[in-house]
Amino acid sequence: MGLTRRDFLKTSIAASAAATVGMPLAKEAEAAVKAAEAGWQWDKGACRFCGTGCGIMIATKDGKIVATKGDPDAPVNRGLNCVKGYFNGKIMYGKDRLTTPLLRMTDGKFDKKGKFVPVSWDKAMEVMTEKFLEAYREKGPTGVGIFGSGQWTVPEGYVGAKLWKAGFRSNTIDPNARHCMASAVAGFMQTFGIDEPAGNYDDIEYTDTAVLWGANMAEMHPILWSRITNRRLTHDKMKVVNLSTYGNMSSDIADIEIVFRPSGDLAIQNYIAREIVKRNAVNWDFVNKNAVFATGPYDIGYGFRPKNADKFASGKEMEVVSNEQVHVIDKWEAIAQRRKEGEQVKQANTATAGKDWAISFEDFKAALEPYDADFTTAVAKGDPDESDEAFKAKLKQLADLYCEPKRKVVSYWTMGFNQHQRGTWVNEQCYMNHLLLGKQSMPGSGAFSLTGQPSACGTAREVGTFSHRLPADMVVNVKKHRDHSEELWHLPTNTLNPTVGSHFVKMMRDLEDGAMKWAIVQVNNPWQNTANLNHWIKGAREMDNFIVCCDGYPTVSAKVADLVLPAAMIFEKWGFYGNAERRTQCWRQQVAPVGEARGDLWILLELAKRVKIKDTWGEQKVPGLKEAGFEDGKLPSVLDEAKKMGYDPEMSLYDALFATPENKKTYKWPDKVAKGHDNHIAKNLGWFVEKAMFEEYRKFGTGHGHDLAPFDVYYDDKVRGLRWPVVLKDGKWTETRWRFNEEYDPYVKKGQGIYFYGNDGKALVMGDLDKPGDGSQKVKLDGKAKIYFRPYASPVEQPDKDFDLWLCTGRVLEHWHSGSMTRRVPELYRAFPDAVCWIHPKDAESRGLKRNDLVWVESRRGKVKVRIETGGRNRVPRGLVYVPWFDESVLINKVTLDSTCPISKETDYKKCSVKVYKA
Amino acid sequence: MNISGILVVAKPDWLATVVDSLGALPGVEVHQVDETDGRIIAIQEAEDIHAEIDGVKRIKALPHVVMADMVYHYLADDEKEYEQIPPELVEQEQACAVPAYLSE
Repeated sequence: MGLTRRDFLKTSIAASAAATVGMPLAKEAEAAVKAAEAGWQWDKGACRFCGTGCGIMIATKDGKIVATKGDPDAPVNRGLNCVKGYFNGKIMYGKDRLTTPLLRMTDGKFDKKGKFVPVSWDKAMEVMTEKFLEAYREKGPTGVGIFGSGQWTVPEGYVGAKLWKAGFRSNTIDPNARHCMASAVAGFMQTFGIDEPAGNYDDIEYTDTAVLWGANMAEMHPILWSRITNRRLTHDKMKVVNLSTYGNMSSDIADIEIVFRPSGDLAIQNYIAREIVKRNAVNWDFVNKNAVFATGPYDIGYGFRPKNADKFASGKEMEVVSNEQVHVIDKWEAIAQRRKEGEQVKQANTATAGKDWAISFEDFKAALEPYDADFTTAVAKGDPDESDEAFKAKLKQLADLYCEPKRKVVSYWTMGFNQHQRGTWVNEQCYMNHLLLGKQSMPGSGAFSLTGQPSACGTAREVGTFSHRLPADMVVNVKKHRDHSEELWHLPTNTLNPTVGSHFVKMMRDLEDGAMKWAIVQVNNPWQNTANLNHWIKGAREMDNFIVCCDGYPTVSAKVADLVLPAAMIFEKWGFYGNAERRTQCWRQQVAPVGEARGDLWILLELAKRVKIKDTWGEQKVPGLKEAGFEDGKLPSVLDEAKKMGYDPEMSLYDALFATPENKKTYKWPDKVAKGHDNHIAKNLGWFVEKAMFEEYRKFGTGHGHDLAPFDVYYDDKVRGLRWPVVLKDGKWTETRWRFNEEYDPYVKKGQGIYFYGNDGKALVMGDLDKPGDGSQKVKLDGKAKIYFRPYASPVEQPDKDFDLWLCTGRVLEHWHSGSMTRRVPELYRAFPDAVCWIHPKDAESRGLKRNDLVWVESRRGKVKVRIETGGRNRVPRGLVYVPWFDESVLINKVTLDSTCPISKETDYKKCSVKVYKA
Repeated sequence: MNISGILVVAKPDWLATVVDSLGALPGVEVHQVDETDGRIIAIQEAEDIHAEIDGVKRIKALPHVVMADMVYHYLADDEKEYEQIPPELVEQEQACAVPAYLSE
């Protein structure tokens, strides 16, 4: 009997699923798979969504994607995928996919107030360049910005950074990753002197304890969560602790759930440190050899506009924003920071928030003294319906787990720590405890920062697409780093701008106050993802500026733009992503872009083709530039030196920086690595630009602890990404699992054991808890990490009688980020159609509300309409509401507060105050 | 129509019971069983995504099931599905204008 088509399909799906998880196949099943998949071409790829970096297999037939499955050979996910992962193939085929450039026009001409009209790529590029040059001539390098992304591929980010920094001499480039892990970066750089985690996902199978701090892994990193669940079920000693401001799905398998008040995490970390010291659990061999104690100023502000904020902020907003200048110490801060309640503290270190100095262990210990269980409970207990005793008992259990000498512990965090007004501090506190215990950089033990975007690490951080960074952890305001980059990029001396550019939120402020007049958006949605949106929507639509948005779909950002360019999506182009465990992985173009869509890389290069060296390499004004070797406020003309180096002033930036004769000769298209796959960009430009840029980028990291393997190695059929540093060992490109650990890291010499080489050559001035010393005494940092004391600080806006609830925002399992892709997959849309506001049943009742009622959520800044949910997956305590931000019809970022961590400049989306009432 | 391949892990001692309970669920077929470690591959047919996800949930809720996760999703070539996206996203003409909710 023959099988029906459906039976046949099912047999083959079952067999594929079995093969995916490594189960042996029955003979007939194997035959069924072969027949069903006849003509399918399978290729490896990386998931488009979160920072986990799952491997997926993609099947194409006749130029279409026909199936996707978890990659059984991918060490990250071992054949599994989450619900979003399965729909990687479908995100490109939404009905409203943008297929042609759209320009706002009236009567055939560009008009800011006009309606969108389809135009040719030539016309789009012509207007875009004209507007670019207009803005550049008027405002200089700071007047043109690019909103980049942790979803940029590595070559895209590299081209963006090189074009902006070397071509336009502008540091006004910042990725949405600023919103996502800038605090993690600042924490890494301050503590270890080098970015990104020491450990990796293998820690899960080695550890005895997973402590989640503001990371709802069950929803946001489900595949890693399935590995933790598995460990929890198979390893008797394994404990899971979930710390959050509300109960969530991660609590389901947790042994302890701790619901804390927003910012209470700062106090809890210090409580643990105090317990470690009190119980004599400090690992002194480790600390003496590998760490120094340090601190910094407390009066660092809240990341609002430093000057003239009242010109833009309303009177209501100023009630909060005025703290940027003077902050009144509250009763908790009085204890936590050794001050008096009611004291007015001028925020003197807003511009120098990151400065630090060494302190003695005695000072460190004295600073921790106020953080006993009573104080910590008073300031940090988040559920008013929980008793103090119950909360204290949990705190003690948590400290017990950390302190138990033989117990391995991994602390995980994501946005709960990073999106925090004291985000850098709370990251550093986590290292504080792991370093005190000596539980760091070892299999199964370490503090591990998870990321939210697929290439926040690979592109935003490693390539350095931030306003202050250059590739491989270098920064623009260090001469040595500029010199090195100018050499590798073959640039005249002093081409690079030494002044840190505008970060993401500041770019929005620059558009609002007219300092920036031209901006381009790639692979992100700033007008949905930036806090306090009403201001930025006005800045885009009512100011004299020109905004270009490249996207696959008409997002909110596309709608407020002046020119919309249809971007090719994930498997319509070649690319590399780098995940949270330093794993760099790649894919090939699987299908041709829809309509006239083109890759973001191509769009940037087309702009570079239309801008000449003489347009940007002459003398340029840069407000605020002050640097040895530069005239104040100016970048020098480098045209003469450029001529000597063989550049013609009439040359385009494309020819000068990218399509060099050498690149075109060495990196020809087609290349055998393609294995029959197309590349719409290489075909159009005539050379293999992704490979050329990757190989050029590699030079920055090689020999500096950021080594990558050659391009072709990643495309090898057997390779499923490699964790850097990747070095050649016995003729084989070999990855590094645990950094700073002699057993695993090629940069640690034999006999050094654990060695934190990121701080080699640096030193700290010795001081006390209040101030740095006179500089006469210095502490060398070679091989050492810093153990910071950072105090509790209250959130700048807290519930009061007018706005009486905390608002926390975040994601849901089914949707990713602003929903521009996942909301267009029917299955995912139907699974979770609209955002809801989770509220405690008693808070709903006391406001006369019931489940599904439509309400206004209103803050000092704006309001949105949304339905309330009193049950379901999140269990918020009384006094707090949670609204996810994926839904563009519930633009919750109109309500949120644009306060940032003053060190990392990352916005705090997790706490502000609102009121909720019936709509 | 959604067809998904689901990996179910049962406590090995209860494998037979779990296989029976799976078989009793409407729309679910057991295709492969690995007796050494309790792993089962089940195929589920569901009308829509709600049913699909509820289906996985009901499997997770079965006694003696340690975990259940989708491993394979078949992309049914069903044009009608593409109609079912948020209404404000399908109106092409309006999609390019500044939507009303931006000035709410």
